[in-house]
Amino acid sequence: MEQILATTLRSAAPLVLVAMAGVFAFRAGIFHLGLEGLMIAGAFATVAVGDTTGSVELGVLAAIGVCLLLSALYWWVIGPLGANVIIAGLGLTSIGLGGTAYALGAIFDVRGSLFTDVVLPRPVTGSTSGAGVIISEHSIFVWITPVIVLAAWVVLRRSRFGLRLAAVGEYPFAARSAGVNPSMVRLQALLIGGALCALGGAELSVGALRNFTENMTNGRGFIAFVAVIFGAWHPIGAAFAGLFFGFADAIGIQSQINITERVPREFVLMIPFVLTIFAVWLGGLWRRRSLEAEAGYAELREPDF
Amino acid sequence: MTAPSGPAPAGAPAVRCRSLGVSFGAVRALHGVSLELAPGRIHALVGQNGAGKTTLAKVLGGLQVPDTGDVHIAGKEIPPGDVSAAKAAGLAMVHQHFSLPPSFTVAEALELTAARPGGRAVYRRGDLQQRWRDDVAEIGGTAALSTRIRDLPVEARQSLEIVRALATEASVLLLDEPTALLTPVATDALFERLRHLRDSGVTVLVVLHKLREVAAVADTVSVLRDGELVLGPAEMSEVSQGRLSDAIVGPADHADDEVGVRAIAHDQETLLELAGVSSGESAFEPGLSGVDLRVEAGEIVGVAGVEGNGQRSLVSVIAGLSPLSEGSIHIDGDEMTAAAPARRRMRGLRLVPFDRNTEGVSQSAPLWLNQSALRLIGREGLETLYPPRRGWVHSVHSPGSSDRGPRQMARLLNDWWQRRSPLISLRQYKWQATQAMDRWRVRYDNVTQPAESLSGGNIQRLILSRELDSGLEALVAAQPTRGLDFAATEFVRRSLRGLRDAGAGVLLISSDLDELFELSDRLLVMYGGQIVARFDGPYDRRAVGDAMTGAVR
Repeated sequence: MEQILATTLRSAAPLVLVAMAGVFAFRAGIFHLGLEGLMIAGAFATVAVGDTTGSVELGVLAAIGVCLLLSALYWWVIGPLGANVIIAGLGLTSIGLGGTAYALGAIFDVRGSLFTDVVLPRPVTGSTSGAGVIISEHSIFVWITPVIVLAAWVVLRRSRFGLRLAAVGEYPFAARSAGVNPSMVRLQALLIGGALCALGGAELSVGALRNFTENMTNGRGFIAFVAVIFGAWHPIGAAFAGLFFGFADAIGIQSQINITERVPREFVLMIPFVLTIFAVWLGGLWRRRSLEAEAGYAELREPDF
Repeated sequence: MTAPSGPAPAGAPAVRCRSLGVSFGAVRALHGVSLELAPGRIHALVGQNGAGKTTLAKVLGGLQVPDTGDVHIAGKEIPPGDVSAAKAAGLAMVHQHFSLPPSFTVAEALELTAARPGGRAVYRRGDLQQRWRDDVAEIGGTAALSTRIRDLPVEARQSLEIVRALATEASVLLLDEPTALLTPVATDALFERLRHLRDSGVTVLVVLHKLREVAAVADTVSVLRDGELVLGPAEMSEVSQGRLSDAIVGPADHADDEVGVRAIAHDQETLLELAGVSSGESAFEPGLSGVDLRVEAGEIVGVAGVEGNGQRSLVSVIAGLSPLSEGSIHIDGDEMTAAAPARRRMRGLRLVPFDRNTEGVSQSAPLWLNQSALRLIGREGLETLYPPRRGWVHSVHSPGSSDRGPRQMARLLNDWWQRRSPLISLRQYKWQATQAMDRWRVRYDNVTQPAESLSGGNIQRLILSRELDSGLEALVAAQPTRGLDFAATEFVRRSLRGLRDAGAGVLLISSDLDELFELSDRLLVMYGGQIVARFDGPYDRRAVGDAMTGAVR
């Protein structure tokens, strides 16, 4: 049981970090399907630079830099160039997955996994039994994740910037008439999201593990996006959704260790995804009412722009 | 052309623009508009739908970058398309469409849009509400600051827009069609407020489309026609009503729009009948309770009432868009209580919905598709289950309709093929749409342009061209003239009368009492989801007004 809770926290942290990126984008009106790509780019950059320089801090900084660049690229494509947001997002994911796999071979001459000695600091270590296991052996990023969630909540729900962001996402005309440039606000939201995805990717590669593996995100970016929707694009809601998906993941991992003899492995691997689908279905039911009420407001939607 | 006539106060003009030009593709929205507005007065800007009023307002407010020309507010030049600079120079704008995000609370919306200095980057809810309490109290607003914008009634939302605009001590207030959504009482209150503002030194530029309103509030008037300034700013006292109308309509447009009217075929005298209809309440309105009404062939039945008293529920229940909990609905003698909208349509029910932009058309779809969508979808059902009736609008296949012989044969064959073939001919549909839109004088460039590129009046014409087809028997017209200029309004009213004379039944829902008195053969008053009074003409404005406020029950 303790093991499951500990694994939950470890699996949830990257999901929650990336989900926060999704919340920022969603609130700015961007259906951000490039989270997966940013996440794996962050994971790769951390290991690549961290291992080369021997400094995990430089690795994380490099990851943030790479993700900021990719986010800016994404903004440029969907904003000034006017590309379709969803297709460009999926393109970003492809770039991330393919680019890291290619770079792995081209730079390090490795196929599959690149192992490293650098690792994120772990503030609490040493417990091997009892409740201590739950909080032991977590990287620093697991510990700061709640802080980041809280900060996201303050920024989005209790700050002027958050109001501007929400206006841009909900009703760009309102933002424009308030003298806000929607395009710039979207860029800011995407850059914040890029940095968060970098942290999520770094946690995945050098926080929970010590390697970079091709396609190691394995759909986590998309699950994080689902968490955003399931959490009604509220930072706290999305964080709890992320925690839930982390829990589903943990059950999958733990039962894989314990009961693989009796149950087919594929079935166990399926558990997180089945839970995800179920949760999304529940979330949809729960929110249908409010969406219907919203529909009555349609007549006041902006007519142009 | 630009100097204000009459006794202009000294000092720089409050607003000055020179040779503004804006084009959207091939459409010239503004051309060479130069305008100077003297400070401390109420200036009205009028013109037909599509004359460029809103575009001009947007250019002045910095929301639209002009192709040519410049804008000065209070002597300062405003960089093109810079909302913040226009604000800094003292211009505040109240938009035709509400500019407050629906999900925001009142306090949040004001903080976002009013940009008063002194706010903190990170706030607490209570502090934010404290900050805006006085502003909302000033207008006698009872709205709690934690109310969400979408839960406010229309009048309160409008007041809030003005609060927002004035929160930064603006010296120039620009209102774009502020009366379009207001009841007459709320309009009077708004005008009173504008006069107060003028007396305290604010320059007001207000875009209006009713001449009665211009006469009521404006000191000077300017007229736009086809993107050009054709009159003004001229002192109201020096302009006759007739000259104003001429300036607005222009020389060529007077002989207007005769709509071809033919007898309507119907089976029963009573075309639409509701008996004891009740429905659940919606988010914005009380539900219906025990509504009885009947629309006979050849009459217009008016429904008066302050908005939000169940009119929307009434329309959506009749149209079959929301279920009723009790009672029955008959259309042309057939029970249609639970029938799908398409079946009601087949039976001859047509609808001009409350909101033409969202309910009446698909904004992004091309014109021809908007025009013929219902025929495309219901092609088989509409035409084979109920053979086309001889309607009041000419069938588009028979412009002369007196031809005989081979051409007639060819036409019948084509009709049959159109109805029976599993394939549709887009060319045919586009052609039909063109014909219908031309009959209704829809002004457009190309049948493939999206509906959102049309002005409000033209969208209404498009909807009429679709709804008033050959199968029409009963029409539900919800606020059919709201927001239209007077030429378009006249056109719609003429069409409704033409329908009535041809034997159709019309249910006219409106919040404009003048319109109802002018058109209705009988008048019902809705209050709180019920019909509380019934009148026959001639109408007593007082009695109807009392019934609308619920004084008579």
